[in-house]
Amino acid sequence: MGLSGFFRRRRSVLPGFGLTLGLTLLYLSLIVLIPLSATFLKASTAGWSAFWHTVTEPRALASYRVTFGAAFIGALVNALMGLVVAWVLVRYHFPGRRMLDALVDLPFALPTAVAGITLTTLLSAHGWIGRYLEPLGIKAAFSPLGIVIALTFIGLPFVVRTVQPVLQALDPELEEGAASLGAGRWQTFRRVIAPELWPALLTGFALAFARAVGEYGSVVFISGNMPMRTEITPLLIITKLEQYDYAGATAIGVVMLVISFAMLLSINMLHWWSGKRYA
Amino acid sequence: MSIEVRHITKRFDGFAALKNVSLKVPAGELVALLGPSGSGKTTLLRVIAGLEVPDEGTVLFDAQDATARSARDRRVGFVFQHYALFRHMTVFENVAFGLRVKPRRERPSRAQIAKRVHELLALVQLERLAERYPSQLSGGQRQRVALARALAVQPKVLLLDEPFGALDAKVRQELRRWLRRLHDEIGITSVFVTHDQDEALEVADRVVILHEGCVEQEGSPEEVYEHPATPFVYRFLGNVNLFHGRIEGSKVHLREFSADAPADLGQEAIPAVAYARPHLLDIDHQPPSGRPHFRATIAHINAAGAVVKIELTTDSGAIVNVELPHERYRQLQLRKGAVVFVTVKDMKVFTQAQSTLGGGI
Amino acid sequence: MRESRLSEPPAVRRFLIAVAVLFLALFLLMPLAAVFTEALRKGVGAYLAALWEPDARAAIRLTLLTAAIAVPLNVVFGLVAAWAIGKFDFPGKHLLITLIDLPFSVSPVVSGLIYVLLFGLQGWFGPWLAAHHVKIIFAVPGIILATIFVTVPFVARELIPLMQAQGTEDEEAARVLGAGGWQMFWRVTLPNVKWGLLYGVMLCNARAMGEFGAVSVVSGHIRGQTTTLPLHIEILYNEYHAAAAFAVASLLACLALVTLAAKTLVEWKTSQSLREPAHEH
Repeated sequence: MGLSGFFRRRRSVLPGFGLTLGLTLLYLSLIVLIPLSATFLKASTAGWSAFWHTVTEPRALASYRVTFGAAFIGALVNALMGLVVAWVLVRYHFPGRRMLDALVDLPFALPTAVAGITLTTLLSAHGWIGRYLEPLGIKAAFSPLGIVIALTFIGLPFVVRTVQPVLQALDPELEEGAASLGAGRWQTFRRVIAPELWPALLTGFALAFARAVGEYGSVVFISGNMPMRTEITPLLIITKLEQYDYAGATAIGVVMLVISFAMLLSINMLHWWSGKRYA
Repeated sequence: MSIEVRHITKRFDGFAALKNVSLKVPAGELVALLGPSGSGKTTLLRVIAGLEVPDEGTVLFDAQDATARSARDRRVGFVFQHYALFRHMTVFENVAFGLRVKPRRERPSRAQIAKRVHELLALVQLERLAERYPSQLSGGQRQRVALARALAVQPKVLLLDEPFGALDAKVRQELRRWLRRLHDEIGITSVFVTHDQDEALEVADRVVILHEGCVEQEGSPEEVYEHPATPFVYRFLGNVNLFHGRIEGSKVHLREFSADAPADLGQEAIPAVAYARPHLLDIDHQPPSGRPHFRATIAHINAAGAVVKIELTTDSGAIVNVELPHERYRQLQLRKGAVVFVTVKDMKVFTQAQSTLGGGI
Repeated sequence: MRESRLSEPPAVRRFLIAVAVLFLALFLLMPLAAVFTEALRKGVGAYLAALWEPDARAAIRLTLLTAAIAVPLNVVFGLVAAWAIGKFDFPGKHLLITLIDLPFSVSPVVSGLIYVLLFGLQGWFGPWLAAHHVKIIFAVPGIILATIFVTVPFVARELIPLMQAQGTEDEEAARVLGAGGWQMFWRVTLPNVKWGLLYGVMLCNARAMGEFGAVSVVSGHIRGQTTTLPLHIEILYNEYHAAAAFAVASLLACLALVTLAAKTLVEWKTSQSLREPAHEH
């Protein structure tokens, strides 16, 4: 119980603080912290110039462009559509609403590999959707568009689930007040509702973007994996591993880790800004 | 069992919730810890229960040091403000909990547990609701389940945190009287926390008034009401009129009138405040001779109620409240706007320093 | 929520509903329908055969084994962490919550990579492990480790806010009534969080059985030995056995649907317990 003596013990009548905190730290260290630190250590053994050379070679740069570009567009689509979906699910009543509401979490629960092969099949030249796009000259599978679609799919729940509770908690008196002051519906939305939704919308966008940047399973089937064109960064890591280029894989892995940490930090600051955690 | 706390100090993140508090509760008494929110009353109750560990000081049960004993071993009954009923258990299971978690050799048999629980439910008049869940009960019923649950383990002491705080006014009244009767019936040493002065004065044998982590005064309800020891107690227990002025020698010179000072504090003028309860003021049409009085104009009259409440404005613009019996009110035939003379029958004078610090003469 | 009498014009309403429903139908309903349609494309016989084939059965076994180890570990971790974080105050609490969330923000591929760098032949412990003939990477232990890593946050994330919101009064009541630590935990704390725990377990399990990226890096893709269900799907799909791939995928899709149903149930249960007027805080 040494830890508990060190910390201020406010609710000291409950047992097990030292033990549970100790176990938590031990488990996190073994499973998360030590492996992550080992990766940074490994990257540092290669030397700075080799590291810099690997992470800035044209193929790596192209993969960043594809990954971040597609993730950004996907998150943007989700921000817009997520707002509409959340609005409709909270404000309107129509048949099938509850089922759709429950289904929004499907991308959380469906394994990414399943999503990947399904979207590929749907969008390929003979698929349910692809067959209508092909005559229009739109190639959805094995193209950057396919990557955007896959990343939109896996990021779909984030915006809906961050905006929904805020919309639900919005006091109707705000809108009634605005209307009683003579504001039109659109003015009310723009000047009264939108400012309340901004933090949640931005948080949802950031979460969807962060998830999309690291995504692998749903993209690898649909992208076609052409270096310089449709190769995402996680795939580049796997390719390097398969070629036994461990130093290269580590270097790019470290770049992705640093980006993850930066996004985690900014999302936490968004939470702090909006005053509540996404749960 | 008697309770004593000695020199208890408790800090939370640098904020002192209790400052060197000492208190004795004789066996069998029903004591109220009364104070505004933040006065430390709940913290003191939790220290007695062993739910908070004091930074300094000792807690004694029957003159034996219990400070190091855990909440589990103190054998106190504790009724939480929001009852803390286990919502996945029925009323029966809630009340039986304390018996079921006893070590095997002390645990009563199933039949004994059932018998004891039903006795307790009869005591709190809830036998018919044994199989209900807490969510299916009213606030007052939950309160009584919480009490039965606390009594099930036959505690030596019963501690109640704002027992009527979450109930509406009518239920509060009933439960107050019921708690008093219950206490007289089973005679267990009881301490309850409240911010409601009426509740404390009506129910308790003794009232302990806390303010900013210190005991301001303790005594019978009559003592603390009739003879408040400090300006804080004066203000906290019932309405009071304040008159500002100064003490000079053996006289108090207030803005409205002058009177004899309670003690001669020398020739130097000392700022002072006089406290007088509204029912200790009287009104007359003529200035009474030989008694301290001042002139005022009637601003408002409220004759609905047990006494007539009259609000007056003094010549200096201060507001004074007077309570008169209906009989006297009718006799005087008072009207709004009338200029009258107010007599102070009794008051208590504190120096300005005591008034802000909270001490007494 | 009180319905506001104010609303958009009917045309706007209908348009917004149409847009939302169309979007969700395209992105959620259609893929779900496609999984099952493709799975049964060659008939029920082929469907069952795809699931009964030895490699598929081996993949099912490995997936169940992985989940059977990763999920209980993370349930215990989640309960332990939520107890420390939800019921006590201590400095650095927010940092600790962020650390628990960390595996969520790490790319699955990187999650696999870090274990390769630790236990692979080129990794820190690689030579030592090789000398002692212990194989972690490209073997079952690596798959289990990577799965544990990616599922660390699930249970803890569900339980921490729940335990924080419930406060400590129930536990204090149990203590004052004489309950010991374990009695308090089993009889009061656990029943109070059971629905949140159930959902956390379901999510954790769905991810453990469905993890692809991280497992892909550490598995080595040895058929019948180190392929979990998602890896098996990949192999079948890449070998143009689409119907078989979808047959296996339909198992995981069913799991996803069960998880969503559990979530709906849990939300219904918690909204019911919230509707109790018991706690006027």
